[in-house]
Amino acid sequence: MLRPRVIVCLDVKDGRVVKGTQFQNLRDVGDPVELATRYEAEGADEVVFLDVSASKEARGTLLEVVRRTAERLFVPLTVGGGVRSAADIGPLLRAGADKISVNTAAVRDPGLLSLGAERFGSQCIVASIDALRENERWRCYTHGGTERTELDAVEWAAECEARGAGEILLTSIDQDGARNGYDLELTRQVADSVPVPVIASGGAGGAEHLRDAFTDGHASAALVAGILHDGLTTVGALKSALNGWGIAVRPVANLRPSEALS
Amino acid sequence: MNVALFDYGAGNLHSLGKALEEAGARVTVTSDWKDALAQDALVLPGVGAFGPAAAALPKDPAPVRDALAAGMPCLGICLGMQLLFDDSEEAAGHGIGLMPGKVRLLDARIVPQMGWNDVETGPDPIFAGVEDLVAYFANSYVCIPTDISDAIAWSEYDGIRSAAGARRSNTWGLQFHPEKSSGPGRRIIANFVALAREPS
Repeated sequence: MLRPRVIVCLDVKDGRVVKGTQFQNLRDVGDPVELATRYEAEGADEVVFLDVSASKEARGTLLEVVRRTAERLFVPLTVGGGVRSAADIGPLLRAGADKISVNTAAVRDPGLLSLGAERFGSQCIVASIDALRENERWRCYTHGGTERTELDAVEWAAECEARGAGEILLTSIDQDGARNGYDLELTRQVADSVPVPVIASGGAGGAEHLRDAFTDGHASAALVAGILHDGLTTVGALKSALNGWGIAVRPVANLRPSEALS
Repeated sequence: MNVALFDYGAGNLHSLGKALEEAGARVTVTSDWKDALAQDALVLPGVGAFGPAAAALPKDPAPVRDALAAGMPCLGICLGMQLLFDDSEEAAGHGIGLMPGKVRLLDARIVPQMGWNDVETGPDPIFAGVEDLVAYFANSYVCIPTDISDAIAWSEYDGIRSAAGARRSNTWGLQFHPEKSSGPGRRIIANFVALAREPS
């Protein structure tokens, strides 16, 4: 049986993991390699690096971080934020990303999704959608949630899939950072309308919110960030709560890599 | 022991290369078949699409098939497992044809299968020390071995049961990604390296 996934997201800026609110007041919280491998040991099913660097020079730094991480991380790694054109996909995958996620660049040039899927396979192309409620629907935003587009989130998700995206990372801007649950209606509408996995994002405050994303939201995976980085809970605690409610997430591996190699 | 990690020109080879090295192998990344077959063992990684990967095979895959049939240790992962069979619905072109069978599109509601799934493992030594395996899959296609005795592991997705592992001679195919399956996956890679050192 396919296990619902718990995915940990880390914001990376200039080669360091940072933390802040709405991209403001960023503070350095550690080394990406160290944090990613710690989350693997805790039971994270995947890790996402979201590059929030502003400068072009940061590109080389990001590739280096991905390279160092891939050598030590043995769960899938998705990298987002660093893809501005099709030319950026190959180097990130070569450096060690298993998947890349695109938002702004895909809205600007949807052909990017098809190009990436043909060349590298749909399984490594993640369409990232930032959605804000507007009347009874959801509107897509780009540039880290700052620029409104004309796209309807549910329709855009279907188009991303049709163009080759193998997965949808769906963030509710309304819920982001609120810690009172994912936008379940948004998640369900998108998950029910596309034949690819949907990752719920934005709003996790506790294990019950992940449970609701899997059950009511029909999500295949749930993204968690702030509550872990702030030490409010751990991946292990989230997973054991989920298991207790009958959501069969992957058990935290009892075999540590070091033991595996002895 | 020298392991050739075959490079079809797509995607991430980093984690796999590192896991092989940590298990004690010397890894040569190559896209030259002559060079690959001259090493002690061959690893066919699991990133990319069937078409371009099949195109990266020699026009006549017989030398590769013969080397593997003769006992050269080989590990094919995901797409690399699919390449061990005859052909695929994904694209034109032929696989290596070591194991008779086809590669078919997963007829499920959500494709690709993306995530951790339970694997029912057989008594093969590649799974030594691994219990209740839950492994990471990212595939839209599955292998259908003609000879069912080639299958060494099974998994079920959306009601479809398919071969998660296959073996013939010293060649193993795994539909999941051991290099992305945390501790148990690394144990499987270490098992392969140990088995390749002393091929049966």
